[in-house]
Amino acid sequence: MTAPEETRVVLVTGGSKGLGAGIVEAYLEAGHIVETCSRSSTDLVAKLEGDFPDRFSFAAVDISDSAAADAWVKDVATRRGRIDVLINNAGTAPEGVIALFNDAAIDQVVDLNIKGTAYVTRAASRVMLARRSGSIVNVSSVVGMSGYRGLSMYSATKAALDGMTRGLARELGSRGITVNSVAPGYLRTEMSHGLDEGQLTQITRRTPAGRLGEPADVARAVLFLTDPANTYITGQVLVVDGGLTA
Amino acid sequence: MPSADQTLTVITQFLARADKGDAEVTPATGLYGDGLELDSLEAAELSAMLEDEFGTDPFSSGDELPQTVGDILAFYEVAAPA
Repeated sequence: MTAPEETRVVLVTGGSKGLGAGIVEAYLEAGHIVETCSRSSTDLVAKLEGDFPDRFSFAAVDISDSAAADAWVKDVATRRGRIDVLINNAGTAPEGVIALFNDAAIDQVVDLNIKGTAYVTRAASRVMLARRSGSIVNVSSVVGMSGYRGLSMYSATKAALDGMTRGLARELGSRGITVNSVAPGYLRTEMSHGLDEGQLTQITRRTPAGRLGEPADVARAVLFLTDPANTYITGQVLVVDGGLTA
Repeated sequence: MPSADQTLTVITQFLARADKGDAEVTPATGLYGDGLELDSLEAAELSAMLEDEFGTDPFSSGDELPQTVGDILAFYEVAAPA
């Protein structure tokens, strides 16, 4: 008989909806403690708070605010005593050609997708360093590798996350901390709302799996990479796109 | 705030797990170069352990990085209420 898996403390940024919510639910179903944040709560968050009062917490935090991100991570570490897993999922995907982007739009996507991820990772990695143990997954995107018309800034930030993954893997590997990316393809979530039905149909037709991805498809990959049995996998980008970019 | 003995205990624990347990530790001992020869990751690790234990640490709280064990001890002495 297999011994029950140790309960871990999991941080998921941007876990109130879409892919982040799918990741949150997957860790809760696996029996772990999940702490998540986003700028505002949702009906799903309220439901999870009721269903898992001891194992789920939500905080309204804008992680592009350095002080707020730091305070959130420290609060979790103080309340839970440790941080075992960090899933950097929070992100925004402003749509449009860069020739029409104003400064605020560029700042917003860089501040949240890159700087926000760095702020949370900096704080969480300190907690992990003190225990010489931990797993970090950056949720990037296939468009960080392939690009997509109208998503150039989003693509740039996701490519940056993959670079951060490789750098952190080398930086933290000797201290028992793994860092990987999961690069989802096109999911039917809020993040794909910038694509019209024609574009989604075309993507589906070109995808060997013959469908768009679901949050659960990506969540399973994230759980795999943070499984304590998989500490020999680090610095990698696992593409979960139904074969679209194969 | 921690006593000097409590601070030295954390430093000693860190050095033990960094395979530097034989190093002599006095207030005058340097943290880098000719002293404990900490690299940047080891300094970050010591910083994280001190913060984990005491809630604050001299590496990320001050304008200047501590250079000696004595600088670390002094940080907590200064931070302690009179």
